Amino acid sequence: MSKRKMFFHMITASLMRRRSRMFVALLAIAVGATILSGLTTIYYDVPKQMGEQFRNYGANMIFVASAESEGLTMSDVEDALKEIPDEQKVGISPYRYETLSVNEQPVIIAGTDLEETKKTSPYWYVDGAWPEDNGQILVGKEMAATLSLNVGDALTITYSQAAMENPDQPEDVDRSLNEDAVNIEYTVSGILDTGGTEESYIFMSLADMGALTKEDEKIDVVELSISASGEELDGYVKNISKKVPQITPRLVKRVTQSETTVLTKLQSLVLLVTIVVLLLMMICVATTMMAVVTERRKEIGLRKALGASNKSIVREFMGEAMLLGGSGGLIGSILGFVFAQLVSMNVFNSTITFRPLLIPITIVAAVLVTALASLIPVRNATEVDPAIVLKGE
Amino acid sequence: MFLRMVRGALFRQKSKMIMIAFTILLGASLATAMLNIMLDVGDKVNQELKAYGANITVVPKENSVINDIYELEGSENDTIKSAYLKEDEIGKIKTIFWTYNIVDFAPFIDQQVKIGGKDVTMVGTWFNHHLSLSTGEELDAGVTSLRSWWEITDGEWLDEQKDASGVMVGTLLANEQGINVGDSIKIDGSVSSKELKVVGIYDCGSDEDEQIYVPLDTAQEISGTDGLISSVEVSAITTPDNDLARRAAKDPSSLSIADYETWYCTAYVSSICYQIQEVMTDAVASPVRQVAESEGAIMEKTQLLMILITALSLVGSGLGISNLVTASVMERSNEIGLLKAIGAKDWAVSLLVLTEIMITAVVGGIIGYFVGYGFAQIIGHTVFDSSIDMKLLVIPIVIILILVVTLLGSIPAIRTLLKMKPAEVLHGR
Repeated sequence: MSKRKMFFHMITASLMRRRSRMFVALLAIAVGATILSGLTTIYYDVPKQMGEQFRNYGANMIFVASAESEGLTMSDVEDALKEIPDEQKVGISPYRYETLSVNEQPVIIAGTDLEETKKTSPYWYVDGAWPEDNGQILVGKEMAATLSLNVGDALTITYSQAAMENPDQPEDVDRSLNEDAVNIEYTVSGILDTGGTEESYIFMSLADMGALTKEDEKIDVVELSISASGEELDGYVKNISKKVPQITPRLVKRVTQSETTVLTKLQSLVLLVTIVVLLLMMICVATTMMAVVTERRKEIGLRKALGASNKSIVREFMGEAMLLGGSGGLIGSILGFVFAQLVSMNVFNSTITFRPLLIPITIVAAVLVTALASLIPVRNATEVDPAIVLKGE
Repeated sequence: MFLRMVRGALFRQKSKMIMIAFTILLGASLATAMLNIMLDVGDKVNQELKAYGANITVVPKENSVINDIYELEGSENDTIKSAYLKEDEIGKIKTIFWTYNIVDFAPFIDQQVKIGGKDVTMVGTWFNHHLSLSTGEELDAGVTSLRSWWEITDGEWLDEQKDASGVMVGTLLANEQGINVGDSIKIDGSVSSKELKVVGIYDCGSDEDEQIYVPLDTAQEISGTDGLISSVEVSAITTPDNDLARRAAKDPSSLSIADYETWYCTAYVSSICYQIQEVMTDAVASPVRQVAESEGAIMEKTQLLMILITALSLVGSGLGISNLVTASVMERSNEIGLLKAIGAKDWAVSLLVLTEIMITAVVGGIIGYFVGYGFAQIIGHTVFDSSIDMKLLVIPIVIILILVVTLLGSIPAIRTLLKMKPAEVLHGR
């Protein structure tokens, strides 16, 4: 039997012979490694996953027309959007505001892409349903109260070129009687509750707005909800203002500033918790390993009495520790990923990114802790005279 | 005799017992730290989310939408009388049932004014207004903290307590009109006009960039609305909505008396709104959904995340402790064999071993609790700059955890040892 083969034989035989004890040690290492890989995965995924939760606060960037340009056009907006990676776009809703009249009273009507608005303003609460077809509108709560509208009611909105161009004309002129006035009847599909200024507006699709005003291309502002960090957003703002000068991108500071503050805190919370848990688990693994090795003082004594050198004993124990640590680490890194995935599915309803680099890191950490923890008692045992050890203290 | 044996075992095997106690200490401290943080993280995150500003707005009942829109159109012939809230009632917000949950608030009054011939919205408000309440409480409230996201690009925040005669200008308006910090601008209001010194220019990325902010008194003087305000923004710490809160928000009178009590005495955003309406005349308080809804979602997620991490570390420390206990009991096969050989009964042996382990566990657990509490405080101070509340609930949980884990770790080991024949054990297998 070659020397190396003998070495492996001794290690595996020693592990097999003391199966239950070794199982205990392996379990401790695996639990430690699970916590290491699980918590680290969560730590790295928290900003991304939490960032998505923060998109509940709505748009964090808006596009408005630059002072020197005529107004926003869809093609400029599309050019600007190329600067932002697709996977970070949560929602992009173009808005167009017009002051039109209902029962001869001016009201603010917003035309938008309602499907996208659902994504950029997830906090909107609609009593009734979101408009699905042309001819349906969403009325803000306050506006609905003023006009005494309920879900399902009909509302005629009037657009007149003359009134648009000369809004200061006396109120008593009946705008709807203007020759070029357009009257279209809409159905109220839902009442909008936001607790903000949106409650005093009426919302309709851009297509309806185009049909009403006979002007298709116009957009006043684009709201964007982007899942990115504060620095990335600053970068996009710089790039877009440089490449598409017709558009002025602006950050909604209320959302971006606060998100950065809260997210940094959350991440440092998870980091500190991870460090504390890891530190304690490492000590736990180390004490278990020390207990397991200390038990074998007699065995060490016997080997020394039979003529084994200190070096070979240490090497053999290290070999055992590495085998244990390696397999514990491997099991732990797999279980850790499963745990992180479980957390992510339960908490954020989304899958977690697999980080292959964590597997070798976990294994190396497990091997190091196990080896160091067994080195101390082995050293102690080998330094003592075999006779004393065998006699039992 | 029993006590002597226990004491003997504890002192003879000092190093081994210290090691077990140490592991239990670690496990207990981990459990304590995690449980304390988990139970407090909701409040802490809620405090942080206050950065998003007010989650409740209070407006007069008869707030006229039409009036807003006429103003937006720029016509000055609005004859419709606006409704206002009374300024002297603001302090009452701090007298409601959930007064301690109200962290900040500020009154607002908007008015169209002219600056250099251009129509501008002037907002009158508190910046860092000092309030002495009838309850004896003192606090500083206002937009300095309610608008924490404002970036002051030039100058500084207006300090109401030092000099209440300044104005803050939005960055867009400042650029357009060439206004700089230190300039004096003339504001022409509907009643009087006033010259004010610009103390700061702010950038907030919204409509407010085209407005000016002045102290409430100044605004009232310019617009002739003494003692009146048009809205109040309130920032309150709330509990995420549940089914009951949603039902109550629609119509509190539809609840049964028991449900009503529960709802009224829980810090739901709807019950706080309801209580504000009770103390202010002709006011409607409504939640700002953008803030209220998102707060709920983020808090829920954070709490769930912490619960799962806590569960993992509890399982981890539990396994760690019971592992070591098993290992240390197994080691004592010789001693147990000897005890049995000289005639000890099974129960006596089990009792002896268990008592020893339990004494060690109690010592380790108590020290561990305090160490863990220390860890929680370190984390609280580093992350949230405030201490973590001591939750009494944690103590029984940690005690039960330690007892169960230690028992689970030692009983199977003791049973296997008892099954062995003394001769075999003593012979060393």
